[in-house]
Amino acid sequence: MVEFIVPPILIYLATFFKIEKVKIIMPFLAILMFIPVAHTFFKGDISYFDSLFLLDDLGRYVLIASIIVSLSITLALISLDKHVKLSQKAYKNFYRFFAIFWVGLTISILSNSMGVYWIGLETATLSTVYMIKTNSGSFAHKEAWNYMIVGTIAISLILFGIILIYASAKPLLDEDAMKFSLLLANAKEIKNGYLFELGFAFVAVGMFVKMGFFPMNLWLANIERASFYPVAALFSGVLESAIIIGFFRFALIAKEIDYPHLIGFGFVYTILTLFIVSFLIYRVKDFMRLFSLSGVEHMAIMALFWISGAHFAALLHFGAHAFIKPALFISTGVLESGGKYHIAGSLRGYKGLAGKSFVFIVSSLILAIVSLPPSPMFFSELYGFGGMIDLAKRSNHLLLMLTGIAFILLFLSIIFYKFIEVYQSSKYDGVKKEKKVYVSELISLALLAVASLGLLLPPVFRFLNAIG
Amino acid sequence: MIDFFIGLFLANLIVSLFTTRLYRLILWYSLNSLSLGVAALLVGKELNDMPMMIIGGVTIALKGIALPYILKMLSIRFKLERIITPNIKVPYSIILVPAVVVFTFYLTEPIIHMVGGNQNYVALSIAAMFLSLILMLEHKNIAPKIIGFLSIENALFLLGISATGGMPMLIELGIFFDLLMAVVVINLLFKKEEVQNG
Amino acid sequence: MSFVYYLFSILFLVLISPLVLSFIKSVKMFLLYKKPASLLQGYRNFAKLLQKECIISKESSAITKIAPFLVLSPLVLTLFFLPPIAKESYYIGFVDAFTITGLMSLSTFFLMLLGLDSGNSFGGIGSSREAFISALVEPAMILTIFSISLMANNLGIAKAAINLNAHFPINHMASFTFALISFFILLLAETGRIPVDNPETHLELTMVHEAMILDISGFNLALIEMASSLKFIIFASIFVSLFMPFGLGFGAVFAVPLFFVKVLLVALVVALIETNIAKLRLFKVPNLLGIAIVFAFLSLISFYVLGGGR
Repeated sequence: MVEFIVPPILIYLATFFKIEKVKIIMPFLAILMFIPVAHTFFKGDISYFDSLFLLDDLGRYVLIASIIVSLSITLALISLDKHVKLSQKAYKNFYRFFAIFWVGLTISILSNSMGVYWIGLETATLSTVYMIKTNSGSFAHKEAWNYMIVGTIAISLILFGIILIYASAKPLLDEDAMKFSLLLANAKEIKNGYLFELGFAFVAVGMFVKMGFFPMNLWLANIERASFYPVAALFSGVLESAIIIGFFRFALIAKEIDYPHLIGFGFVYTILTLFIVSFLIYRVKDFMRLFSLSGVEHMAIMALFWISGAHFAALLHFGAHAFIKPALFISTGVLESGGKYHIAGSLRGYKGLAGKSFVFIVSSLILAIVSLPPSPMFFSELYGFGGMIDLAKRSNHLLLMLTGIAFILLFLSIIFYKFIEVYQSSKYDGVKKEKKVYVSELISLALLAVASLGLLLPPVFRFLNAIG
Repeated sequence: MIDFFIGLFLANLIVSLFTTRLYRLILWYSLNSLSLGVAALLVGKELNDMPMMIIGGVTIALKGIALPYILKMLSIRFKLERIITPNIKVPYSIILVPAVVVFTFYLTEPIIHMVGGNQNYVALSIAAMFLSLILMLEHKNIAPKIIGFLSIENALFLLGISATGGMPMLIELGIFFDLLMAVVVINLLFKKEEVQNG
Repeated sequence: MSFVYYLFSILFLVLISPLVLSFIKSVKMFLLYKKPASLLQGYRNFAKLLQKECIISKESSAITKIAPFLVLSPLVLTLFFLPPIAKESYYIGFVDAFTITGLMSLSTFFLMLLGLDSGNSFGGIGSSREAFISALVEPAMILTIFSISLMANNLGIAKAAINLNAHFPINHMASFTFALISFFILLLAETGRIPVDNPETHLELTMVHEAMILDISGFNLALIEMASSLKFIIFASIFVSLFMPFGLGFGAVFAVPLFFVKVLLVALVVALIETNIAKLRLFKVPNLLGIAIVFAFLSLISFYVLGGGR
């Protein structure tokens, strides 16, 4: 278990040297994180510390996805100071908080106990507050405070719900009521279903607020706007994966307790969120907000697919989003080098092999995020909507659910339209301005693009099916 | 006597919703934590649970005495606004606060047959959480928002000691760790503001 | 025999009311390093007013002639329903919170009419402020007295006081404390003490109670002053009997002085508060009374929730 935490400790120790020399080493330290995962890949479910931590296939998948994303972020960080103004101390602090964040993340992904999961999540949340502050200026300062306040409210709501869930299961399982695996196994025997549902409602609302659902849609967009692009990439790729894995685990247990309530709650909440987000995306004027709101939309769809029982689709969607969205965020560092609100013409003016390959990768990523084939998003939505229609057929409210699905498709089409408009405008409108692409960024983008394509391979499909 | 101290806990929280001075708010928060710590001690003694008694003592020392002192020092050093007017007018909050309390009792009615816990305390902790959220949302200044967050932690602690007859030590340590990190981050955020403005 | 004790206790309350108000004034003067006035000053003021001439404004109506009597009489009536001073003086036990509050409100209503009647604008200010404050005080008073009656298991406050003396509600401590805090705030508000209203001000724009009686003189003023001191003694008596219910059973010879001492204690606390706290701005008074209302509500709800009530 300790071997998972060694690489972030090494990253933390490396920041004590001069940052200009050390930042090249960081990606290699990030690669070290693969070793413990690869080592235990084929060993099935492993439990550590008296099943306080459990490494099952779901955890492995999320961990690998997060490692790939943070590898590419460390690559992109190499050229950060060429795009934005950053002091040496801020740079160092950034890596330090990144290391603490990684420790918290590992704890929450690997944990089998609800409480330990919460501790990891809270460490990750509080360490990202400072990362927003690395961008100087009063807007960033205000947004860091906003993040702190709303983030801590969300975390406290999650803990509140966890305590209520623990209380509902304690008569049955005693001290072991904290463990996800035991809760899932004994879910049907929990007597006090109402208490569990109350707790789950608190947990779900806390997680949704953290992921930027209603009513906090603009909060997340403003935070990601106020911070640097690697921070935004970190949020959308890695932090949200920690939250969504928690939601997946809790939802599995809630499904056993009272499925219709879960469906009703989930559908209403996500449709409301999609409604608001789609109109916010329609009016967006810069890249960062566009991508962060789109991230909210994808999280909503993931939650929806998981609740409807289309686990494979949700996991595939998760993986695709975790690769594509950070890539897009990293590319905004270059796309916005002509100015923040200049969407038009941002994909023009690249010269040389590096420039041309950058344009190719970024345009394909923009088209991939709106589920055009052959992106993995396309397949995930195919299976996901199929799963939802299956659920509608099995339930007693066929017409109601089909209406809901129709509305979801309507909102997604608004988002689809906006992305295509952004793509067209950035490629064909506007003034041609010279923009420079750095090799490290290109490598990170290529890595993420390849990883997202790699999701389409049959062994990966089989693996995901097995988890579901 | 546990009832008395839990009642005091709620009363202090409600008074802090009506106050308009910062140092007074810190005082109510401190009394809040003190009554919570004493209640935790009494519950621990009744259940013969040593860890809970220790945590109760730590609450009294840390949240009742040390943390308010730190908050006061921070507000002096960073020259925070000492007059904090709530955004909700008094007549409306007179109606809102009892409505919230009654609503949470309605919410927790189905769990009246809980084993190993007391339904009323669970309802009061949910009410305390909602009231702390109101405290956080009704002021514009930063300081009441911080104290609102700290009151949410108190409500969590109350739920932890009352709902289950003892939380695993890990969780209570987690709550304190959360508090610690939050104070560190708050200090960091304030420092940078000073550096930028000064 | 208890009828005699009952009448004696009412007379006792009437007689000590000016004394208590003078006591408060003397304590305040003592704390301000002034030579305190004599404790009998209240009686001397009353005697002086009885001999003075009554001047009534030309613009006033018949209300000004009858209102002073109507301000005093509900309060005198309330005196008959108060909780007993000693166990032997218990006579009437069926009067509950609504009646007491209603009678007090009747008295306040006629006082407000009196203030409006002479057509002078300060009287109007006083009446509107008094209405503003009473509107918030009444619900709190009803809730508080109900809550303490529930704890004492009897809705009539006289019987409730006797029950509280017999069984102090130790397992409803939270509810009791909240009712105590709420009732004390109401005592300060209804009797026109700082922090709600300054009884010694000479600046008309800061007056609430005094503004309504600016135009009254002579015998009418004596009646109003009597009413104001009776109001204080009524509230103090209810507070002492319900919230400090010790020593009722000692026998009349000891119980009456003990009651007197307890009332003087309440008066001392009021005097200390008056010396140490500034008067609240009128628009901040709802904050204080809001706390009283919410505490009264909390006391009622925690009776059922936190004490194992029915």
